[in-house]
Amino acid sequence: MANRRRFRHSPVLRNLLILLMVWEVAGQLKLVAGGALPPLSDIAIRFWQDRADYPGHVAATVWSSTLGFLIGNVLAIGAGVLFVLFPKVQRLARGVNIAVFALPAIAIAPILVLTLEGNAPRIVLAALGVYFVTMSATVVGLSQYDTRAADVIRAYGGGNWKVMRLVRLRGAVPDILGGLRIAAPNAVLGAILAEFGGGGRWGLGTYLLGSLGRGEPARLWGIGLMATLIAGLSYAVFALISARVLGSTRSVTLNTALPPDGADADAPLGLRVSLAVGAAVLPFVLWWAFIRLTGVPEMIARTPWGVVDYLFLADSSAVARAKLGAALLETLPITALGMVAGLGFAFLLAIASRMMPGFIRAFMPVALVTQTMPLVALTPLLVLMLGRGLSVTLWITISVTFFPAFVLLVQGIQRVPQSVLDLPRAYGASAWKELRMVSVPAALPYLFAATRLTVPRALLGVMIAEWLATGTGLGNLLNQSRGYLDYGMIWTVASVSVCLSVAFYYAVLAVERRTLTRLGMQVVE
Amino acid sequence: MPLTIGRRGFLQGTAMAGTALALPYAAWAATPFTMQAAWINDAEFAGYFLGMDKGYYAEEGLDLTYLPGGPDVIPESTLIAGRADLALTTPDTTIRAITEQGAKFKIIGAQYQKNPIGVVSLKKNPINAPADLVGKTIAVPPVNIVTIEALLALNGIDKAQVQIVPYAYDPTPLVKGEIDASLDFTTNVPFTISQLGEEAHSFLLYDHGVTLYNDTVVVTEETLASKRKELLAWLRASRRGWIEALADPALYPPQWETTWFAGTGRSIENEVYFNTAQKPLIEAPGGIFSMTEEDIEKNIQALAAVGITGTREMFDTTLLSEI
Repeated sequence: MANRRRFRHSPVLRNLLILLMVWEVAGQLKLVAGGALPPLSDIAIRFWQDRADYPGHVAATVWSSTLGFLIGNVLAIGAGVLFVLFPKVQRLARGVNIAVFALPAIAIAPILVLTLEGNAPRIVLAALGVYFVTMSATVVGLSQYDTRAADVIRAYGGGNWKVMRLVRLRGAVPDILGGLRIAAPNAVLGAILAEFGGGGRWGLGTYLLGSLGRGEPARLWGIGLMATLIAGLSYAVFALISARVLGSTRSVTLNTALPPDGADADAPLGLRVSLAVGAAVLPFVLWWAFIRLTGVPEMIARTPWGVVDYLFLADSSAVARAKLGAALLETLPITALGMVAGLGFAFLLAIASRMMPGFIRAFMPVALVTQTMPLVALTPLLVLMLGRGLSVTLWITISVTFFPAFVLLVQGIQRVPQSVLDLPRAYGASAWKELRMVSVPAALPYLFAATRLTVPRALLGVMIAEWLATGTGLGNLLNQSRGYLDYGMIWTVASVSVCLSVAFYYAVLAVERRTLTRLGMQVVE
Repeated sequence: MPLTIGRRGFLQGTAMAGTALALPYAAWAATPFTMQAAWINDAEFAGYFLGMDKGYYAEEGLDLTYLPGGPDVIPESTLIAGRADLALTTPDTTIRAITEQGAKFKIIGAQYQKNPIGVVSLKKNPINAPADLVGKTIAVPPVNIVTIEALLALNGIDKAQVQIVPYAYDPTPLVKGEIDASLDFTTNVPFTISQLGEEAHSFLLYDHGVTLYNDTVVVTEETLASKRKELLAWLRASRRGWIEALADPALYPPQWETTWFAGTGRSIENEVYFNTAQKPLIEAPGGIFSMTEEDIEKNIQALAAVGITGTREMFDTTLLSEI
């Protein structure tokens, strides 16, 4: 086994080395975009020259993201426990959960800077980045417990709470750790985004902002790679902890009885309707409460009613609606295209990872860099290579969307049971045929889950491209509104983009439920 | 809301009572005062850094807190939210806030008599005047769209004839020829362009009809009424700081390498260039921050070109006449 693993790893290392060498040569010869892609050696030299700058910025970023990570996770785990104990509360909070999951960070960052002061926007954005991941991991972990252990507790007279404390929470530890692992890089990225926009002196985002004006790609790459490193390390820390912890919490034998389903499908219609309405209304109540509690004046901080007033009732509402409508017309078609492109790219990669595992493993570090590299640092490179039209928008959208979808799809393809795979093999089917006839159809639930992940992010990707490169649509309207001091529009764009993302999510969910029910498959959470 | 105000008021009240009991003279001597700057720490704010370092604000009885800005920071918002007493703003946004949002602001001074924002191009592909922009691509920070619209309107150019793309503060696309010009501080970006091996060419919007101030000193009407003494103190100390910072523009930036400019990612040579280039735009016959009747009128006229209605009442020159 050890021997085989070494064999499988060496081509990965080799491919990675080739990749790095190609990068170096391309950079040295200024092959990419007239030298806008710096060679690795330049990045390293620049990093060494800047080494005195980094500690302060890294410390600030790590501090804000750690605080956000802690706060976000405490809330997430607390919420997860609450949701599992009281499924009705989960129903009620569904709107909030989906909204937190779908909200485009660049639309929220200006709102946070407007309403909060000091470090708070950074911490909140970091916390928002971790909440959903950890919360859903907690819920999944707590729901899938070993019923045999729970029966033991019950037999000795323990109640729900005892079961929760002694069985379910313990059993959920691996899942929660898995969630924390994914959440940690999110916290770092959230903090950096808020630093970039929000004033203050320290933090990698601030450093990036000051460095942009130098026209020195080596510095920008250095900052980006540092962000990647911090995000990667935070991931590694939790990967290590979960590897340590995992061994002791897995049951030795397999339990074949599924835990009881918490869903209350048989609840009276009235209750279900009121829960659904409550779920839709709750995000707006929280928004309203947030503004009341921060005490920011109505002029700059709009309540939900303030946005309605701005869009439909105020004197200038016709102008505002026209602006918003024009922006949406520009943004929505490209978003649809971007969803398809992002998902298609993820799908191709997932298939490639099956057919050419060596290539994909070498590609993974590059993929990780695209996930943590602040796109603003890459803007010149991107516009020089791709122009400022459709292709730059699509590539930015792909880079923002493909990764989570890819990870899910690979999982889906890997989870196809061996016995099912044996059948085509026994008949001598080629790898392609096996993939086409067995693996891909079997991974359909994962494809849907991946679509649900991709779709809200596509809007984020398009808005980023509009903000950085094309100067059109919602992304641009958001930024321009700051220059016009049009607070109503800032809040409108932020809330409309969140609502759209949520709507996309639900649209996919509806199609997914229908299709999978017809095929007799289960929805992947 | 009443709850929040009540709590804040209570906290402030207790804090003040506490300090008053403990240190009656010191508390009286240094009044807390917060200013919101318009951007991250660079030479644009040299005068204030010097004033803080040399204790000019303290001498005037101010305990100054300095808040740096950033792309998402709208200085006017900080004033409205009550997080700063005074902010440095762009006059077009401020006046728009007064007319369209009903914000109660007064402009009490102007750091830049002439706005340093200009059209920056390369010498080998120069844009000499607004008319040259026709058929060209110019990168403009999204927040400055109003400014470029003013330039085009005042020079009779149809907006549709110029391609405007977002500017992300990185001069690389300009140097590589992907865009023909950018809208940026002429006091700053030409230096970077020279570092990148090209020669920059620029003109000020001010010289082509957009006769605006920049970094206008803005306060709320309430602050103007209740903190007049502090505002006078701030103006005096800041003017003193600026006079000294500009006397030899190359003297102070190197001294701030490890303090104000630490970790900004910008180079000290860049700050020296910046400070030198901004000197003629800041200095005024009537003293730094001054606003002459003639210049105020010019600002109002330039804004009228883009449909922003400024009035003389939005400017308050009484403080300037007292310092």
